[in-house]
Amino acid sequence: MPKKDDELKKLANFFINVGELKNKKRKGWELRDVKNPETIAAHSFRMAIMAWVLGEKRKLNTNRVLKMSLIHDVCEVYAGDTTPYDKMLPKNKKKLRGLLDKWPRLSKKEKEKNFREKYKKEKKALQKITSGLSPNLKKEINNLWDDYEKGLTREGRFVRQLDRLENLLQALEYWEKGEKFMIEPWWIQIKELIDDPILLEFMNVLDKKFHKGKK
Amino acid sequence: MQNKIYHLTPEGLKKYKEEYKRLNGILKESRSKIKEIRDELWRPEDLNSDYEPMESELISVETRIKELENILKNTKTIKKSKQTKPKIVTVGTTVVVEADGQIDEFTIVDTLEANPSMGKISNESPVGKALLGCKKSEVIVVHSAIKATYKIIKIKYA
Repeated sequence: MPKKDDELKKLANFFINVGELKNKKRKGWELRDVKNPETIAAHSFRMAIMAWVLGEKRKLNTNRVLKMSLIHDVCEVYAGDTTPYDKMLPKNKKKLRGLLDKWPRLSKKEKEKNFREKYKKEKKALQKITSGLSPNLKKEINNLWDDYEKGLTREGRFVRQLDRLENLLQALEYWEKGEKFMIEPWWIQIKELIDDPILLEFMNVLDKKFHKGKK
Repeated sequence: MQNKIYHLTPEGLKKYKEEYKRLNGILKESRSKIKEIRDELWRPEDLNSDYEPMESELISVETRIKELENILKNTKTIKKSKQTKPKIVTVGTTVVVEADGQIDEFTIVDTLEANPSMGKISNESPVGKALLGCKKSEVIVVHSAIKATYKIIKIKYA
């Protein structure tokens, strides 16, 4: 059937494009000179498992949280990975270390501007990567991504928080292995961001597990 | 769904009402389309490849409508006080803080409207919760192995 063959060819291209995330390292770890930093795909993989298991405890739509976790960074194939420090990166390596030791503070106006610019860039990239897909699949992926970005539903808000929690977990793992960076910025961010009850409990478990009463 | 009370800004409430109206329109249209397809079928194999996603979308729309009904039924709108300057931090106010030698600014909102990337933090987040009820010049500490300290510089309406 020529129509199905054509659809599968376009899907093959989509899968090949998405597969690029298996080669793209996460920018935050590269900035911190982490040895063998994880890829964007690796982050999405564990995030999907966490979303499924923890989401079920909150009686969320598992199908939705799983799909959202899997596609939430797909736009980065073209848009690239970003960090909260991107607009203020110095060229001097010593100054960079100093910058990364603290959670970046911005005015509300700056935050809004940055969010809108990032959203626009990533939305364009997502539309590009999904351009060859069937109208229904393209619509589904774009709607899931929008929900995640804007926290439109319970699932969207949960996955958005989980994204940061998985990142915290990875940071703690690297930090415990002896990678040389300050862990404080992650804790500062997470306490301003998480409000889901199960994720708050999980955050406390990580606190006890990795800090074991040490400062 | 739990009967939680949501505290929404008038803009937030308007957004949810508009979405509710729009989705009800989509629901009516989708149900009619799906009925049309089913009525014309002789065999299940005649279903086209778009049918399943259409049914799946219908279920998503129905679920979302139920969620919105719960929100709209259990919402209290945040009313702007007649005072020009708020005396304490409440849901709907913007707080300027000094943290770690830097200045930051958050608007405290309900979980539904939270978006920390846009400077809106949830009243149920550890920092949001700790700031509620505080006055200007108060210092709050959010505890764990890592302590985070916030000094309130200014409180204003968003």
